Amino acid sequence: MIPMQEVPGRAPPGPNAIETSGLTKRYGKVSALADCTVSVPEGRICALIGPNGAGKTTLLRLLAGLARPTAGQVTVNGATPRQDPAFLADIGYLAQEIPLYRRMSAEDHIRAGAHLNPRWDAESVRERLTDLKIPLDRAVGKLSGGQRAQVALALILAKQPRLLLLDEPVAALDPLARRNFLGLLADAVAASGLTVVLSSHLVADLERVCDQLIMLASSRVQLCGDIEEILAEHQILVGPRKDTTAIERSHRVVQVTRTPRQTTLLVRLNGPVIDPAFEASDVSLEELVLGYMGQDAPAATVQLTTVGEEK
Amino acid sequence: MTWLVWRQHRVQFTLGAALLAALAVLLVITGLQMASQYHSALVACAANHSCANLSSTLFLGNHAVGFLVILTLGAPALVGLFWGAPLVAAEAEAGTTQFAWMQSITRKHWLTVKVGWMLLAAAIWGGVISALVTWWSGPDNAMQLDAFKPGRFDIMGIVPVAYSLFAVALGIAAGALLRRTLPAMVVTLAGFIAVRAIVTLLLRPHYISAVTVFYKATSSFTPSGSFWQLASGVVGPHGELVTQNTNLPVIDGIPANYLPAACVPSQGRGGFRPPLSCTQALSHFREFVTYQPADRYWAFQGIESGIFLVLAAALIAVTVVVLLRRDA
Repeated sequence: MIPMQEVPGRAPPGPNAIETSGLTKRYGKVSALADCTVSVPEGRICALIGPNGAGKTTLLRLLAGLARPTAGQVTVNGATPRQDPAFLADIGYLAQEIPLYRRMSAEDHIRAGAHLNPRWDAESVRERLTDLKIPLDRAVGKLSGGQRAQVALALILAKQPRLLLLDEPVAALDPLARRNFLGLLADAVAASGLTVVLSSHLVADLERVCDQLIMLASSRVQLCGDIEEILAEHQILVGPRKDTTAIERSHRVVQVTRTPRQTTLLVRLNGPVIDPAFEASDVSLEELVLGYMGQDAPAATVQLTTVGEEK
Repeated sequence: MTWLVWRQHRVQFTLGAALLAALAVLLVITGLQMASQYHSALVACAANHSCANLSSTLFLGNHAVGFLVILTLGAPALVGLFWGAPLVAAEAEAGTTQFAWMQSITRKHWLTVKVGWMLLAAAIWGGVISALVTWWSGPDNAMQLDAFKPGRFDIMGIVPVAYSLFAVALGIAAGALLRRTLPAMVVTLAGFIAVRAIVTLLLRPHYISAVTVFYKATSSFTPSGSFWQLASGVVGPHGELVTQNTNLPVIDGIPANYLPAACVPSQGRGGFRPPLSCTQALSHFREFVTYQPADRYWAFQGIESGIFLVLAAALIAVTVVVLLRRDA
């Protein structure tokens, strides 16, 4: 893939921190990620959402260069992920397991980081951990899970990357610490133009800070784009229980829930809905996410539907 | 990166240095005692012309220290197990490779520094132990002339350095392939023992074609210095190998069933003089000894070291390929 700046006589297209096309990762015969084409513009905070095993971690690892794609292209900060100090300096990746040297203290990690990175804001880590009352001199293996996560997050920010890839970073944090950290993240993005991709199951948290969304299910991309635009493209239609084929013809029905009295549809709009029988309402991120996830496991819904119709 | 290597492995390195220091103290003290014991024994035996059988009458040092010195055969395996095997495996297990590899350094750089320091430490370990053991064994070597024999050859000179480098490289490669410390340690131990045994038993005797000397059964021959005897025996009048049978009496190294009956002294007949026919029969037999001469000692040390260094280099190459090619 040609880096953008090498294309002659053309201004770089809208700068994207991340661009993938047809990105695929297979382990043996199992596809962890299939034909993934997404892009995230610079300076955004992107939520990476999907059920367990949807391929979120695989995507983040491919972006970080820790894993190699089986097929497809990936461009991060304008370059293919590779073993190069300059490339690595611009990426911050925090794995779900929060890998730190258990017998080393936070201070040891700070010093290691100073030796291993061209940019390193050691003071910010010390300040932040002191504020959080996390001892700098204790082996991180003896800290609580939440404290360990805080150490790892502070370290990753000290690296001052241009792109931050966080795999379930707030899972170990209590609600207050979570809010606190997400606030910090939003500040960093505002101050430095950092791009963030973070995966989480906590949609409410994501909704507060994220402006971009990548939704994965069954190893495939379901949605990718600006959250507000995506929400605007979707509506929930509630109407009498009747034939919905007309709606299905002109719009994409994501999820159908039928009860004997009424039908609820989550649809991706393709123009306005002109069916007075249905009442349209806006969709929340949570409803949208559940709708797309429910698509993944339709068995229960289908059964309910059949039972209802037989009556 | 060096800072991180030191911070991560300082306990291992300190422990290794402490063990070396303890061994040094023990061997220097007992070694000095043995040297003075040997020299006074030499002076004493020279006075009454009994130095020829000094090796059978004098025992130097004490059994416990002697046993410890023999145990240094296993010293290279120790560093393979406790330094080599965890080097990559422990990090892969704990997931800390994902920390190290997401700093602004390439995996190659990470690996080069870690492996480099570990190999250096292993070489120092093998070198110090070998230097101590070689010096300590000086009087014993002079007396027993067995420095070339398997078991002694392996703990002196330069081969312990090569063994240590090989053991650590084997541990590193096993750890990189298996990504788990305990299985890597098992593989390292088994692999080290297997390779050492194969090289010692099958390859070492043939580095340079052995010398075979034939001599009359009635005479005797001993190669000079610390030679390594590979085989010895007797060949008959037609060049056939004489099989030894422990149940039969032996005359001048030849079992009685190969000789005329007249050669065999009957019980209780003192001052037996074999008849001429017997002496003639005996003269058709020759004894032989196949051996590696003492002056090949350093050539053998060099060849054996070369083999293990090449193996170590190959294992490191495997590690590099595995770590750079495979997903983290």
